[in-house]
Amino acid sequence: MKGYIGKVLRIDLNNLTSSVESLNLLWAEKYIGGKGLAMKYIYEELPPKVDPLSPKNKMILMTGPLTGTAVPCSGKLTIAAKSPATNTILDCSIGGHIAGEIKYAGYDAIIIEGKAEKPVYLHIENSKVELKSAGNLWGKGTHETEFFLKATCGPEVKVLAIGPAGENMVPMACITSELYRQAGRGGIGAVMGSKNLKAIVVKGTNGVKVADPKQLTARAKEIMKKDTLSDDNLWAYTDGTPIIVELSNSTGVLPTRNFQQGTFDGFDKIHAEAVKAVRKDKKGCLSCGLGCGNYVNTGQSVVEGPEYETLSIGGSNCGIDDLEAIVEFNKLCDDLGLDTISTGNTIAFAMELTEKGIKDFNLKFGDVKGYLKATKNIANKETELALGVKGLSEKYGGKEFAMQVKGLEFPGYEPRGSWGMGLAYATSDRGACHTRAWPIADEAYGDMDPFTIEGKAELVVGLQHYNAAKFSTILCDFWALSLETVAELLTLVTGKQYTEKDLKIIGERIVNLARMFNIREGFDAKDDRLPQRIYKEALKTGATAEKLLPEEEFNKMLREYYQIRGWDSEGKPTGEKLDELAI
Amino acid sequence: MKLSLDISRCIGCKLCQIACSAEKEGVYQPTAARLQIEKIYTMQGLETKVAICTQCLDCVEVCPTEAIKYENGMLTYSEEECTGCNECADACPQGVIVVKADTVGICDSCGGSPECVNWCPHGALTFGCREGGGVG
Repeated sequence: MKGYIGKVLRIDLNNLTSSVESLNLLWAEKYIGGKGLAMKYIYEELPPKVDPLSPKNKMILMTGPLTGTAVPCSGKLTIAAKSPATNTILDCSIGGHIAGEIKYAGYDAIIIEGKAEKPVYLHIENSKVELKSAGNLWGKGTHETEFFLKATCGPEVKVLAIGPAGENMVPMACITSELYRQAGRGGIGAVMGSKNLKAIVVKGTNGVKVADPKQLTARAKEIMKKDTLSDDNLWAYTDGTPIIVELSNSTGVLPTRNFQQGTFDGFDKIHAEAVKAVRKDKKGCLSCGLGCGNYVNTGQSVVEGPEYETLSIGGSNCGIDDLEAIVEFNKLCDDLGLDTISTGNTIAFAMELTEKGIKDFNLKFGDVKGYLKATKNIANKETELALGVKGLSEKYGGKEFAMQVKGLEFPGYEPRGSWGMGLAYATSDRGACHTRAWPIADEAYGDMDPFTIEGKAELVVGLQHYNAAKFSTILCDFWALSLETVAELLTLVTGKQYTEKDLKIIGERIVNLARMFNIREGFDAKDDRLPQRIYKEALKTGATAEKLLPEEEFNKMLREYYQIRGWDSEGKPTGEKLDELAI
Repeated sequence: MKLSLDISRCIGCKLCQIACSAEKEGVYQPTAARLQIEKIYTMQGLETKVAICTQCLDCVEVCPTEAIKYENGMLTYSEEECTGCNECADACPQGVIVVKADTVGICDSCGGSPECVNWCPHGALTFGCREGGGVG
C-alpha cells in the first residue's frame, strides 16, 4: 500500500542497538496506523500484566498513511504504551512537526523496548541511528533539553523530550515537543523515563509517496480552502480552544473548585478575550491550516497556550482566576514534563481534602503561590501529590470526590451537565478522557438535551468509532470532517479503496481491541464507573443548578451502551462480536 | 513580481513547502521545496525563519549557460541548457535552489500562480509587485 514507508525502526535499549523491519501491512489493513496500529502492536507484543514501568513495557511511536502528505491537519503522532497511571492500554497524540519528520526520515513507526543502563537519547538522521549519552541532560527541563539538542544536532531537528517528572516516573508525566506540544495523558512520560530515555531527536529529508499525488494534492487543496477555513473550523485560528471557557461557563459545565460547581465567578478573567489580550503570535502543526496555537506573553511568563483544558482544570477547577498564574503553571508543567489536566486535578483534590479537614496539604482554592509550588514538587516527587488523584484518595480518603476514572483524572467538562460525557469518561479505553468521544458538542454545546440518557449510548458509540478511525489515519481531533471525506483522502493516499462504512468498522475494531487489552489486564464493568459526586451531589449554580447524573440513569445508559456494542453484562465483547470484527 | 511573506499571518504549517515539492517533484518532501519557512522556538521566543526567492538574480548572473533567465518578472529555467554545475545554488543567498542529481530546482513562480501562495491558509504568502518584496 502507498502512503506507508513500510518500515519500522526498533530500538533495543537493553543492548543499545537498533534494527529495521517491515511494517506489518496485514495489521495496517485492519488498523490503518496511528492509534489503531500502535494498539495492535502493543496488544501483540506486551505480555499480560506487565509492570508499566518495567523494561518489559514498550513505547510505540506511530505515524499514519496521511502523515507528511498534503492532507491538512495530518501532523499528529501517536505514542502508545501500557499506562502507569491506569494500567490500561494508552495512546497519546502529539502535534508539532515530529510525526512528519519521522516519516521523512524513512519510518512509519519507532518501537522502543528495554531499558538503558544509563540515561541516553536517540538520534535519528534518516538511516543513521545512534544512542548517545544524556547524562548531562538528566534532571534538566524539557526546554533546556530541546535547546541543547538543537544546538548539538542542528537547529532543524525535531525533538521529543521528558522533564524531571518523566525521569522521576510520576504517573502524570508527559512527553514534550517544540517546548509546548504534549503527549499528555496517562503517564507516557514516565514510561520513557523508566527506560532512561531522555529524548528522541529526528531529522528526515526524504519524501512521502502516495498512490495518486496529482488528485490528492488537488483534492486536499480544495478541501482545505473550503472546509478548514469555514466558519465551523475558523475558531481555531481566531481564538483557539480558550473559546470554550465562556461556552462552558454559560452552560454550567466549567469545572470549578474540584468539580464542586459548574460555573466560575472569574471566568471572564481566563476566557478567550483575556488570552487574546496577551497573545503575540499564532502557531500550527505540520500541514495544519487551522493553526490553533496561541503564543502568549504576560510579561512574567511565555507559553504556547494555555489551552481550554489548562484554563479550566488548572484555572477554575483550582479556584484560580489569575491568567498570569495559569500561564506560569502551564509553562512549569510543559518544562517539568507534567500533564496539566492530571496535575491541575490533583492540586484541586488536595485543596478540597485540605478544605474538608481530611488531610492538610496547606493548599487552598485560589492560592496561587501554593499551586505553583505544588506543581514543582509533584515533578520532583517531593510531595505525596505525585500519587495523583486516585493514589491520594486511596491513602487519605475522599474517594467520592476523587474525580477520576480508572486512575485518569477528569478533563474540563462537567458530566452532570452533559450526561453522555459521563458515559464517555466511564467507557474510554484510557480512563476519563475527552478525546475518545466528545458528546458535549451535541449536548451542552449543541441541540441535544444534556440531562437525559436518551440517545446518548448510541451517540457515544458512534463518536468512539469516528475518533478511533480518524486518529488512526492520523488526522487532528480539531478538524471536523466527515468519515466519507476521510475515506476519500485515505483512498487517494493508499490506493486501497476505503468507504465510510469501512472506517466505521475499523473504528469499532480498534475500540474492541483496546477493550480486549484492558480485559486481559483485569478490567471489567465495575471499572466503568464515575465518582459518587457525579451521582449524588447536585450542582448549585448556573444552567446546571440542582443537576446531577443519577446512578440508576447512568447504569441504564451503560447497559444500553454494552448492548449496542455487543458486549455482555460484564462489559466483555462477545465471541460473535470479535468474530464479526475479525479480531 | 515576487513572493512576499507577512510573518504576522504565518502559522508555520509548511503547507507551502509540501505544495511546492508536490508541484515540482511529485512527492511530499518539505526539504525538496524551493522555499523554507519555519516557526521555531529559540531562547528569544517564537521566531520565523524565512528563505524565499527574492529575485536578486544572482543565479541568473552566475549561470554559465544562461539556463536561468529573468523574463516577464519571473525566473525561467531550461533543464536542457543546465550543466548541473550548481554555481547558482552556491550563489543563492537564500539557499532556496534545490540541488538534484544533474539539474537544479529554482523558484519559477510556477509561471505566475505559485502553488505555495495558492495553498497558504491564512494569506501570509502573496505574489505580486509589492514594493521591495521579501519578508514583512
